[in-house]
Amino acid sequence: MASHAHSESHYHQDTHQVHYEGDQSKLYSGILSHHTDVNSAESKTQVKRIWKIFWILLVITLAEVIMGMFFSHSIPKGLVNFMFLLLTVLKAGYIVSVFMHLGDEVKSLIVTVLVPLVLFVWFIIAFLADGGFWLRMNDESPARQTIEHVKAK
Amino acid sequence: MAQTTVVTSAQEPSLWSGGRSPYNASYGKIMIWFFLLSDALTFGAFLISYGTTRFFSSVWPDPNEVFKSFPFLEGHNLPLLFVSLMTFILIMSSVTMVLAVHAGHYGDKKNVAKWLLWTIIGGIAFLSCQAWEWTHLHGECGGLWGTFTDVNTPVSSFRHFFSHTAQDYVAANPVVAMQSTHNFFNYFFTITGFHGGHVTSGVIFNILILVNTVNGVYERRGHYEMIEKIGLYWHFVDLVWVFVFTCFYLL
Repeated sequence: MASHAHSESHYHQDTHQVHYEGDQSKLYSGILSHHTDVNSAESKTQVKRIWKIFWILLVITLAEVIMGMFFSHSIPKGLVNFMFLLLTVLKAGYIVSVFMHLGDEVKSLIVTVLVPLVLFVWFIIAFLADGGFWLRMNDESPARQTIEHVKAK
Repeated sequence: MAQTTVVTSAQEPSLWSGGRSPYNASYGKIMIWFFLLSDALTFGAFLISYGTTRFFSSVWPDPNEVFKSFPFLEGHNLPLLFVSLMTFILIMSSVTMVLAVHAGHYGDKKNVAKWLLWTIIGGIAFLSCQAWEWTHLHGECGGLWGTFTDVNTPVSSFRHFFSHTAQDYVAANPVVAMQSTHNFFNYFFTITGFHGGHVTSGVIFNILILVNTVNGVYERRGHYEMIEKIGLYWHFVDLVWVFVFTCFYLL
């Protein structure tokens, strides 16, 4: 390794050390900390928002279940699945943004958390396309017919 | 936003020039976010692997046929009803958790303890539902993982997992249908099991922070950030369930 010159002090200077590791409460949720009155108007607005999101999530879930129970065979499957995925992402957005308070954090934290998830776009397209390709290969393969033939005997 | 803004004529120093956290959050909170990010990639890999196998298969069990039972109402055709109840329980426990976090922001010890207790009850209720469902499916399959592997398995033991429109295909291609049934249940038990493991550890964490809250640990510390960090984990577990619910029960 490089040297032992830095081994005595940590990465930060001592004053910063105190600030970052000694008293975390100074950094504790810049936006959300250090409120005092739980019955204040601000507090009540927040609680109201939490319950509003609960009702939204409940209604979305009910819509999904009703769609799955009664319409999964009467509406084109592709459209139903698109709706399911859209509603799922919507629910996820509400949970992350309000329940996990990511929407209340500073922009740099939001970006840092969300950007790596863009990888999923590639994952999903690549792997599902691969699955579809192998299905076609298998259907045209003579091996499958042989297995069914053995089974029929 | 109660923060005061200091207006200076000099240029505002960059967020990243040191001396303050560019994320305006503590070390622990940033790290729980990064942990959840990596956990999201793990669950994502599981679900995409499930999707790939499904795309790979020419026939697949129909969730409306597999999941149609309800405790004490066996024999009735009640698709999706039980899992809707489980979803409702988990969303509800997410709400009680965020209310505990909210109470923590105001240093309201009594309400933190109350909402944490409700969250723990919700978590245990969800796990009980999952235990019932696993037991039920264990009975249907004759096991958990690695079932439906014997080529001589009669079609009658798995064709009821498929929709009416797929019955002709299943009858003509029993080996393909059996392979799909095998894959379906392996993925189901792996992914819901991994999720259930997260719920279990979440309940344990919640019990620990409830004990700490009641003992006044966070009151002495001056803040309830630990509730917020465990809360992030708990909401993430709910978030994963939203995707599991869609992938296994809806699509």
